[in-house]
Amino acid sequence: MDPNDDQQRLDERAKRQEWRHALDRSADLRAAGDPTDPTAVAATPPPPPAAPAPDPLAAVEPAPFGAAAAVPAPPAPAAEPDPVALAQPLAQPAHVADPADLVLAARGLRVAFSGNEILHGVDLDAPRGGVLALVGPSGCGKTTLLRSINRLTELAPTATIGGQILFDGADVYAGGTDLNLLRRRVGMVFQQPNPFPMTIFDNVAFAIREQAKRRPSRGELMPQVADVLQRAGLWDEVKDNLDRNALSLSGGQQQRLCIARTLAANPEVILMDEPCSALDPRSTARIEELIVQLAGSLTIVIVTHNLAQAKRIADYAAYLLNGDLIEQGIAQQVFEDPANQSTRDFVAGMFG
Amino acid sequence: MPVRLSDRIGVGIAYVAGTILIVAVAVIMLWLIVQGLGTISWDFLTGEPAPGTLEQGVSGGILPAIVGTFLVVAFGMAVAFPLGLGVAIFLTEYRQPAWLAKGTDTAIDLIFGVPSIVFALFGLAIFSQGWLSFISNPVGDTGMATAQSFFCSSLMMALIGLPPVVRSSQAAILGVPDQQREAAYALGKGRLTTIRRIVVPGARPGIATGIVLGVGRIAGDTAIVWILLGGAVLQAPPDGWYLPWNLMDFLRSEGSTLTTYIFFSSPAGEGNSPGPAYGAAFVLMVVILIVNIALIRLSRRKIGKR
Repeated sequence: MDPNDDQQRLDERAKRQEWRHALDRSADLRAAGDPTDPTAVAATPPPPPAAPAPDPLAAVEPAPFGAAAAVPAPPAPAAEPDPVALAQPLAQPAHVADPADLVLAARGLRVAFSGNEILHGVDLDAPRGGVLALVGPSGCGKTTLLRSINRLTELAPTATIGGQILFDGADVYAGGTDLNLLRRRVGMVFQQPNPFPMTIFDNVAFAIREQAKRRPSRGELMPQVADVLQRAGLWDEVKDNLDRNALSLSGGQQQRLCIARTLAANPEVILMDEPCSALDPRSTARIEELIVQLAGSLTIVIVTHNLAQAKRIADYAAYLLNGDLIEQGIAQQVFEDPANQSTRDFVAGMFG
Repeated sequence: MPVRLSDRIGVGIAYVAGTILIVAVAVIMLWLIVQGLGTISWDFLTGEPAPGTLEQGVSGGILPAIVGTFLVVAFGMAVAFPLGLGVAIFLTEYRQPAWLAKGTDTAIDLIFGVPSIVFALFGLAIFSQGWLSFISNPVGDTGMATAQSFFCSSLMMALIGLPPVVRSSQAAILGVPDQQREAAYALGKGRLTTIRRIVVPGARPGIATGIVLGVGRIAGDTAIVWILLGGAVLQAPPDGWYLPWNLMDFLRSEGSTLTTYIFFSSPAGEGNSPGPAYGAAFVLMVVILIVNIALIRLSRRKIGKR
């Protein structure tokens, strides 16, 4: 056993614990409603107030923190006010006061395959910024929920979808939605690393190139490619080998390449479907670190089977069981003091 | 060797079957080499059939036949390849409307199963109509067309070259993992971009196999050539046929290919000169082998530097 290896692992663990603590601190601060703590801004999204807002008028009030500046503002949607949200003010989740803080929301989402209903009317809230973990036992519908957000579910011809997914307040299932634009703004990383059988460079370049009349040259693309590879923490490992086959990378590197590729489309949200389940512990740690980093500038919705992972990285959590959303809220609360008995059993590791 | 008796029998059958196949192919190829190689010479490959084709040993060369095979294959595949790839993409990636997909599927099976002479006969009926004389030649002032030309035969050849292209490409496209399609869709790429940049490149080896099979089918077909290109061995192509201003006339005229040359000069035809027949057969085999190897090689993608 190489002593350097051990040292590195120790370092990584220390680093992990460090940001874990930072997260804990920021969560505490969030609970306390303190917006001034700098770590909260650096490591996590603008903390929403913990206090529930049963009064619909509260929605009109401006958010009480200036921390929102830490998150790049997405282009304002041209959509009219969301009728569902207005019609059901009581559906406001306990942990988010202002509907404008929700980047994604599912409203009464029903999905069935060949008439077999997988999701029975799910209301999900994804606050802007941070990591939202979808947890639950296998077969509970979390992957289906995730894939319905960027409308991949409908690739299966047997799928029927009802309800709404609101992205920046606009229903993605409304007619006239530009699917390709939606999928660029809401990127996705899959369970199995799936780089294209091309070079590393081409994998990223493919995501950048638009159907322009003139294909941008390698030189023009290089700064962008380098930038996203850096953001995905892969640049140092591949910068001398950009013309190597992407499939020759290790599984963890492939997954980071897939994340880089997704970043290249410049998304506001990244959906991740158990991105570490095919990876070894060390690669998993790197990806988790990356997820927390990225969550400083965009929103990540991650499906994970690994409760420990969810506890490590999540700012918010939603617990699903048999196609129903049982509980959602700030991660710490869901994992440590859940309101629902089923959630309590699940996070205690009694099933799933 | 497996222990159980039934497994042993199975393995035994597999060995015997494989051996029979190898022996059969080896015997045929050796026979062709032994019989044909003696005939092969520079003059044979580059010469034109002599007037004395009827007499063994003085039958001249096979250049027009080689050129004919090349033209029929090239023109036939020029139609069959894009059409076949398009049909394969439709059958795998779209399949809508369902009735059209089903109908296309059945049609491909039918074309695959029907002997080429049936199509040749049908082609004769169609192409001999006077208004189509621009792809062959008018017959005097009868208002009919000869229906015998490189154009006519190539069009029917495209039909028999189509099914292998479709089926091979279809299998190869189905073999491209859905995860790659999903990855492209998830990056905001449309269906057409995904097909063009991910699916078809991923299916390239299988598509190349389809072309190889199509080329083999066309190059090996005799019935269509006999009926739609002319039943006589072309003595010599007109001087300068390959010049652009002569090419149209040449392509509208009769010709011959290696297969009809083989038939013509074999004891079964009029020639009774098995030597040149074997020589031409050997050449045909080598040409197809070269095309196979070249296409398979070209289709193999090397991604980046190792």
